[in-house]
Amino acid sequence: MLKGHLDMIVLAALAAGPAHGYAVIEEIRRKSRQAFDLPEGTIYPALHRLEQAGLLASRWVTAESGRRRRVYALTRRGERALAGHRAVWQQFSDAIGALLTGTRPARKPA
Amino acid sequence: MISAYLESLAGALSFDRSLSRCVRQEVEDHLWEAVAADPISDRLEAERRAIANFGDPHVIAAQFAVISLAKQTRRVGAAVVLVVAGVFIVMKARIEWYAATQWAISDDLKAVGGIVGLIDRYSFWLSVIIGIGAIACISGRRIPAAFHPAYRAQLSRFFLLCAAATAALIVSVISDGVLTALRLFGTELRVGFLVPIFSMAIEIACAGVLVFQIRSLTQRAASTAALLKT
Repeated sequence: MLKGHLDMIVLAALAAGPAHGYAVIEEIRRKSRQAFDLPEGTIYPALHRLEQAGLLASRWVTAESGRRRRVYALTRRGERALAGHRAVWQQFSDAIGALLTGTRPARKPA
Repeated sequence: MISAYLESLAGALSFDRSLSRCVRQEVEDHLWEAVAADPISDRLEAERRAIANFGDPHVIAAQFAVISLAKQTRRVGAAVVLVVAGVFIVMKARIEWYAATQWAISDDLKAVGGIVGLIDRYSFWLSVIIGIGAIACISGRRIPAAFHPAYRAQLSRFFLLCAAATAALIVSVISDGVLTALRLFGTELRVGFLVPIFSMAIEIACAGVLVFQIRSLTQRAASTAALLKT
């Protein structure tokens, strides 16, 4: 299930600001309260793919350790995509919540 | 231990050198940061854990290979547009130059020139039509997360269309070469010869670029398929 939402998860992790791969993984763990413990290596292909799609931009910096580090940030298109994902997820979540509790959904799911 | 892991990952991506170098640097930074963040005092164990958490290098390389293949696909699409446009401009410029200098094919070669000209025209426009079809095949498609059968079929279609467009373009360039030779044949050697010869060199180089890009695409597709098998 997580695999299908990986792009949304990565975009959400970068919503707070630019970060490198390791920090993105830490942010996913922190924000999900350790619920999403993804195989770390799968995040990097996702970051590259999102950059190719124009949703992220990256730049190389030199870390305090002296190592070269690639930092990713959301682009305008990425911000719009994240807003879209949030809206769809909210509708989906409301609908499933209503289904499980037996109440009517607040909004019609997309 | 980390060096060996990085070698394995970079080696699996050796078909795309810039991606291999970039991934190596990025993953190296990640792994050393993971080692530094691990509270365990045994450094070797920390390295082993960082590598284990990162995952199988071949599985990760396969995911990167799909992205590399998609990038090369787009590059080939752009090359088709640029090469066809380039050949068209060079061809038109040469014809204009022939008209300006009133350089015509000799009367006894006009019949052959007419046939070759027809082949040239039809093969060029065929390459344009097939090229448009190839670009339509990939335009607006996002890079998939996996090398699934639908994407594989789409790539096969794109490759076949590109190969057909290139073959038609090569026929057109050869025809241009024959037409140029017919004009030069029996004419006295002069500086003006350089214009058609130079324009032909540009056309041949353009076709060469397209062949090279398609060859790279087939190599990447083969490497990706091999990585997915392992």
